[in-house]
Amino acid sequence: MASDTKPAEEKPAEQKPEQKPTALGEDDEFEDFPVDDWPEDQTEAAQGSGETKHLWEESWDDDDTTDDFSAQLKEELKKVEAAKRR
Amino acid sequence: MPLVIQFLSQIRQFVRSQNGDELRAWLQVEPGSPQQYHNLAAELRSQFRQQGLETIIDKSLPQEDDVPEGQATVWPGFVAFMKDYFAFWRDVDYEDLLRAHQLLSGLVNSCATAFAHPTYGAMLLKTSMSLSETLARLTMTLNRRPDLTRRLRSVDEDKTIAESSAEIIQKIFTTCLTDRSSGRYSKPEGKKIGVYMFANLVLKLLFACRRTHLAKLIFVTISTISPPLALYPAAQRVTFLYYLGRFNFSNNHYLRAALCLQEAYLQTPRQLVSHRTNILTYLIPCNILLGRFPSQTLLQRPEAQPLTAIFFPLCQAIRSGNFIQFQQHLATHETWLFEKGLLLTLTHRLRPLLWRALSRKAFILTYVPPTDASSRKAATLDLADLLTVAVYLQRRLEGWLPSNPNALGRPQHVNPLLMKALANNAQDQGTSTLAPPPGGPKALRPNEGMIWGNAEVTPEDVEMMVATLVQQGFMHGFVAHGQGRFAIIGAKAKGSPVLAGWPNVWQTIRDRRYEEDFDPDEVVGWVKE
Repeated sequence: MASDTKPAEEKPAEQKPEQKPTALGEDDEFEDFPVDDWPEDQTEAAQGSGETKHLWEESWDDDDTTDDFSAQLKEELKKVEAAKRR
Repeated sequence: MPLVIQFLSQIRQFVRSQNGDELRAWLQVEPGSPQQYHNLAAELRSQFRQQGLETIIDKSLPQEDDVPEGQATVWPGFVAFMKDYFAFWRDVDYEDLLRAHQLLSGLVNSCATAFAHPTYGAMLLKTSMSLSETLARLTMTLNRRPDLTRRLRSVDEDKTIAESSAEIIQKIFTTCLTDRSSGRYSKPEGKKIGVYMFANLVLKLLFACRRTHLAKLIFVTISTISPPLALYPAAQRVTFLYYLGRFNFSNNHYLRAALCLQEAYLQTPRQLVSHRTNILTYLIPCNILLGRFPSQTLLQRPEAQPLTAIFFPLCQAIRSGNFIQFQQHLATHETWLFEKGLLLTLTHRLRPLLWRALSRKAFILTYVPPTDASSRKAATLDLADLLTVAVYLQRRLEGWLPSNPNALGRPQHVNPLLMKALANNAQDQGTSTLAPPPGGPKALRPNEGMIWGNAEVTPEDVEMMVATLVQQGFMHGFVAHGQGRFAIIGAKAKGSPVLAGWPNVWQTIRDRRYEEDFDPDEVVGWVKE
């Protein structure tokens, strides 16, 4: 039924195109599937009994102190510390 | 012979043979239906008065007492439904969406009543579904037209159009759920086949119209009496888990949400890329909140492509406690994150992880290991140092500029005269590497500051933040208030004060037990075997 109404133009021209990856579609809607059923062996769930460790990183803490951000914080700490001693 | 009579005689045949497919095929309501339907509508408008039409329907659909084995007869609910069906075609004008919605609501309601018939109702399963789908689509269209629905709201303040449509479809869902054709744990038959089909349609409607909280009733009833999800077709399983995951996500149950969304993701074949993207849109942030970042393997998959630019930099910012990068990145993608319903959650709920990383970084930058290896003194973080870096970040967020010409990370092309002028202007000269912004500090929204907008970061804020992180298990140790320090417990056992003081986020969340009989793998609404 949506077909015979013109889509409401609620969004003015302030849209930033790079924020809307085309693959995501306009709507929040979860589209219907092209088929109702498929065998499990067509899915990842069947392989390795749902083992998904490789998809996620659980240890990600950052020990690097040579990056710009760390260097800036280090400078600031040094300067504030020096000012306290004065 | 009038079209009405021809039509009714066909319908009667389909009811007799309990032919659900043909009933659905014939009982169309779409504006795009074949010309025959529009001819029928014209005939209804020109040749029939209400009374006359009802008499013809009653005559054409007689209720039979003696029904041969394997056949069926019309029933009062069905006749009433057919009367509404013709009234619908007679009165509908698709240019008037509100009126069309009203008519269709009435029709689906009367279909729901006919469907509830214990013996014959089941033959209307597919018809109920197709009418409900049309009603849902029309409702979603209207939901995007506040100019039209505003008038309705003033009449019925409490209920939106989405809610009333959802309620009607939910009636059919309940009929399916309480059907007794098959036992709870055996292969679904009769109306039981429709349980998740209708649940999914109601959920789709509620999510599209942002009335998510109303979904609770569906999940609770499903938990109580529904057959296991595994007995239903894959598309229905995945769709249901997607919505159940999103429901838990919007209620801040990230562990449960991750379980549902992950299962939905794994059960969707690889070639259905856009469905997998849609699932990952919520699964990735959900896992980030739980301390699990998407791996390179995942980010390189085709379905993750549109999401990488959004979530990867976010993870980078969390890793190092870089609030500047974090805020900038959220601001860049604000519109998209808001449309997806992710903005508020990510803005607020990731902050503990950033503070954790920032305190960790402050410790690494300032900690001097004891020269005496046998020293029994606990490793500590001076909260004044954490305050220093927090104040620094707050100032950067407010637009302060690095004033030291040798400051790292400063672009080379900046005019040295400007920098000198800024440095001379600095009130805090000598106590910070930053100079105040020439035009005064940038006004921050509450969520854009370290604590609350432009509020200054105080020692109390920092101490409270650390105490909160200790309480949440993200930092392991205690606050020595008198000394203004965070003291780490168990550094010897862990082999390093950093490992002991800042435990793994995912493990910490996973091991939390607020109640003794808490099962982290149980999700209300997900009926397993």
